Amino acid sequence: MAELNVESEITGAVWKITTEIGARAEKGDVLMILESMKMEIPVEATQAGTVVRILVSEGETVSEGQPLVRLSD
Amino acid sequence: MSWEAELEELRYRQQLAYKMGGEERVARQHAAGRLTVRERIDRLLDKNSFHEIGAISGFATYDESNAIKTFTPANCVFGRGLIDARQVVVAGDDFTIRGGSADASIWAKFKMAENMAYEFRMPLVRMVEGSGGGGSVRTIETTGRSNLPGGVGTTSGLDLCARNLGQIPVVSIATGPVAGLAAARFCASHFAIMIKEISSVFVAGPPVVEHLGQKLTKEELGGHKIHTKSGVADYSVDNEDEAFVAVRRFLSYLPSSVWELPPRTECHDDPARADEFLISAVPKDSRKAYKIRQIIESVVDSGSFFEIAKSYGPSIVTGFARLNGWPVAIMAGDPYHSAGVWTANSAQKITRFVDLAETFHLPVVHLVDCPGFEIGLDAEKSGVMRQAVRAIAAINQTTVPWCSVLLRNVFGVGGGAHQPAGRLSYRYAWPSGRWGSLPLEGGVEAAYSAELAAAENREEALAKITSKLSAMRSPFRTAEAFWIEEIIDPRDTRRLLCEFADTAAPLRTAGKTSFTLRP
Repeated sequence: MAELNVESEITGAVWKITTEIGARAEKGDVLMILESMKMEIPVEATQAGTVVRILVSEGETVSEGQPLVRLSD
Repeated sequence: MSWEAELEELRYRQQLAYKMGGEERVARQHAAGRLTVRERIDRLLDKNSFHEIGAISGFATYDESNAIKTFTPANCVFGRGLIDARQVVVAGDDFTIRGGSADASIWAKFKMAENMAYEFRMPLVRMVEGSGGGGSVRTIETTGRSNLPGGVGTTSGLDLCARNLGQIPVVSIATGPVAGLAAARFCASHFAIMIKEISSVFVAGPPVVEHLGQKLTKEELGGHKIHTKSGVADYSVDNEDEAFVAVRRFLSYLPSSVWELPPRTECHDDPARADEFLISAVPKDSRKAYKIRQIIESVVDSGSFFEIAKSYGPSIVTGFARLNGWPVAIMAGDPYHSAGVWTANSAQKITRFVDLAETFHLPVVHLVDCPGFEIGLDAEKSGVMRQAVRAIAAINQTTVPWCSVLLRNVFGVGGGAHQPAGRLSYRYAWPSGRWGSLPLEGGVEAAYSAELAAAENREEALAKITSKLSAMRSPFRTAEAFWIEEIIDPRDTRRLLCEFADTAAPLRTAGKTSFTLRP
């Protein structure tokens, strides 16, 4: 089973986590919403898979390249 | 009597040159996952089109009978060839000979490649690999003296590189580790390509920076991840063949020199194609981001968008595209990155991109979403204001036809530079356009501080003022005053941009710009 981390493309804060462990995500599904400069930036699954870990929590500051969610196909 | 014997010697010497650094070095190059310079040139150019110049130049030793004992070719291979049936000059470093170092090269070959591209007005492709420059410190021992950089009778050649940027398209590929002057030559181009896991580019490599206490691999110090973000590289690819495809693609939008106009290609896409999703592409909630690349791809000729410098200053998207077959330069804000504000880096990106469009007569299409310049202490420390006013000066200095489409935010000094000042451009606004000197958020507190301080219920007063101003901010009120000339259905954007490109085509004027683009 290949695992893959979905990484943050921006520096910002985790505003809302919209997925949960065990959930199935298709490519392009929104996993969480980050906030940067008062904009809501959706984080999408880069491939289909099951959410095995959520690596951040709401309110946390994340930096560019930081892993946010781990998917397993 | 004939000269057959001499021609035989010429062919013999050519065969020696084709061996490059010898079997073992060539095998080592292949083992490292890299092509040799000659293989690269063959793959880059149209089939069998390479006309080499100076193939037999190098360093020979002779026996007593005056026959060649050993021969090391110069480690720069160059000549003319075709890319999509257009002539170019290509020059590549041969890493199999002294690691591409300049102390195994004949400097006049580099210079002739640069001069040939300039004089004969042909695009130049540099394939850079090695250190270049004055060679290693070992050169002191071999020459018996220390080389003065820029000393009497010498230049680094960067003067030629810079001069070329104002005359012909220059593309460079880092085809391996690149340091020192070679890195400078890589960077002194319009389009600098790195290859993942093959290219690394630095001022000085890992052994030198280790003296600073930095123990880094080539990749960590100057790999594609570093330099697509630093702005030293404009593009990265997975392998060498993709690099050659990228060179072709980049050049396809440009004329062979500033003395010609960008070539039109046949358009297989309906100029009146109207994608339905555009009517809801920009969310009504101004806090919600949208994907600008989907919008760009929808309005330009299908498959024609070619993004440049994606990871550098990412709040601005830049690239080439075609409209009804005409090449254009596309610039747009990206709300996914810093809400689309201009940072110091994105402002530098704008300056370089707009200058590139001006140099090669590409009309500019600007899809505007500019909430302003980046604010805060880090932004001030980055010198965003100087870079931003420089970008605005570059926009104002353009003479190429320009069309702006206001998608969403047009705020502040940056917003004011959405089109060149002082001349007429095309301009359209989507109904989602919102503008002002400042966004209401934050602006109300500053402008109505006295009223708010005097109010019994501050929050209530703030909400009241904000709601009153919001209602007055409708783009239709602006259009009523003719401050914006046209509000359009977003689905008509492609048709109108194609019409713009048709209108702009005869206005493009070949020749040199009033300034020369700097690297």
